[in-house]
Amino acid sequence: MSYFDKMRGTTQSPPRVSPLEILWSWLGSFLGIAAVAYLHYDLLSETDLMMIIGSFGASAVLVYGATKSPLAQPRNLVGGHLLSAIIGVAAYQFLGSHLWLACAVGVATSIAVMHATKTLHPPGGATALIAVIGGEQIHALGFFYALIPVGAGALIMLLIALLINNIPNTRRYPEFWY
Amino acid sequence: MEESNGLFCRPVDLSDGDIYKAMREIPGYLDITPGDFKEIYRIAFRRALERLQQPVPVVDIMSREVLKVKTDTSIIEVARLMAERGVSGAPVVDEEERVAGVISEKDFLALMGAGEHLNFMEVVARCLSSKGCVAAPMKKQSAGDIMSAPAVTVGPEATSADVLSIIEKRRINRVPVVDRTGGIIGIVTRADLLRFSGGKEKA
Repeated sequence: MSYFDKMRGTTQSPPRVSPLEILWSWLGSFLGIAAVAYLHYDLLSETDLMMIIGSFGASAVLVYGATKSPLAQPRNLVGGHLLSAIIGVAAYQFLGSHLWLACAVGVATSIAVMHATKTLHPPGGATALIAVIGGEQIHALGFFYALIPVGAGALIMLLIALLINNIPNTRRYPEFWY
Repeated sequence: MEESNGLFCRPVDLSDGDIYKAMREIPGYLDITPGDFKEIYRIAFRRALERLQQPVPVVDIMSREVLKVKTDTSIIEVARLMAERGVSGAPVVDEEERVAGVISEKDFLALMGAGEHLNFMEVVARCLSSKGCVAAPMKKQSAGDIMSAPAVTVGPEATSADVLSIIEKRRINRVPVVDRTGGIIGIVTRADLLRFSGGKEKA
């Protein structure tokens, strides 16, 4: 296939899911994000701790909306976030004087490491990026960022996914654990 | 796809539409395009074919309960035993239980005037045009007299592929599996080969 032919695409997009599936995706993600956001805004607001970061929105798409995807499995959800968080923090600490470079190295290295460890989870890229661009509050956490909010948040979303995704008989989660 | 073992196997030509419909039947979002699925299917089919063509050890496919007759068993008895067990042939063993030959429908047909092709219809034709039983002349004979000898046998280390090539080359239907002393431990028939042409998934 020639270079330009490749740009035409070769197949069609997957089918739309049923309205019931859409409903379950809505409910799962509502509860998953609600749990994390409630902790963040109502329980930890008096502390310096935080529980929610932007990449959890992306994780919600996968673990509540594409539950069969290899990218959405527990190994990927937890492993991908943890590794990317560590890499993101390291990128900021070593390359913080050149923020553009810290961003690029953090995200690119996260993807490479997630590939190599079979934990590819797209929101992990955001988790690494947030470690660099997240501002003073994130930078102050240092490597603790990998535990809270990242690790704890991923675990809470995993717990909600296990509880909710296994209710309808058209769904089961996970496909595999590791 | 490719031709092998005289079998022409190719995957069913799935259309993107077939796959799309299947994806719709499975609830939930599938993180794959119909095109990717088709490619996986095509490659998996080729792998399966390769696996199915792996020879299996003959001891895994042979029948262990073998009807065997002795060289001095009368062929009336042989015919009765074969009919009873529903087999079309049996190994013939000597006094020391060593395989001396194989007796089969073909040996009977030959004596009943089946001609060079050992064709049953030729026997029918002769039977219809003669008064007595065309098998009558061999009434007094025993298995050792009419069997095909020496027996074509294989050892327990042989594979399904070995047996297949022997059966094709020698135009026979069964091969006794014998130990080093010539004692019988099983028999592999065309039917056994067919049944296991599916191969075995290694657990």
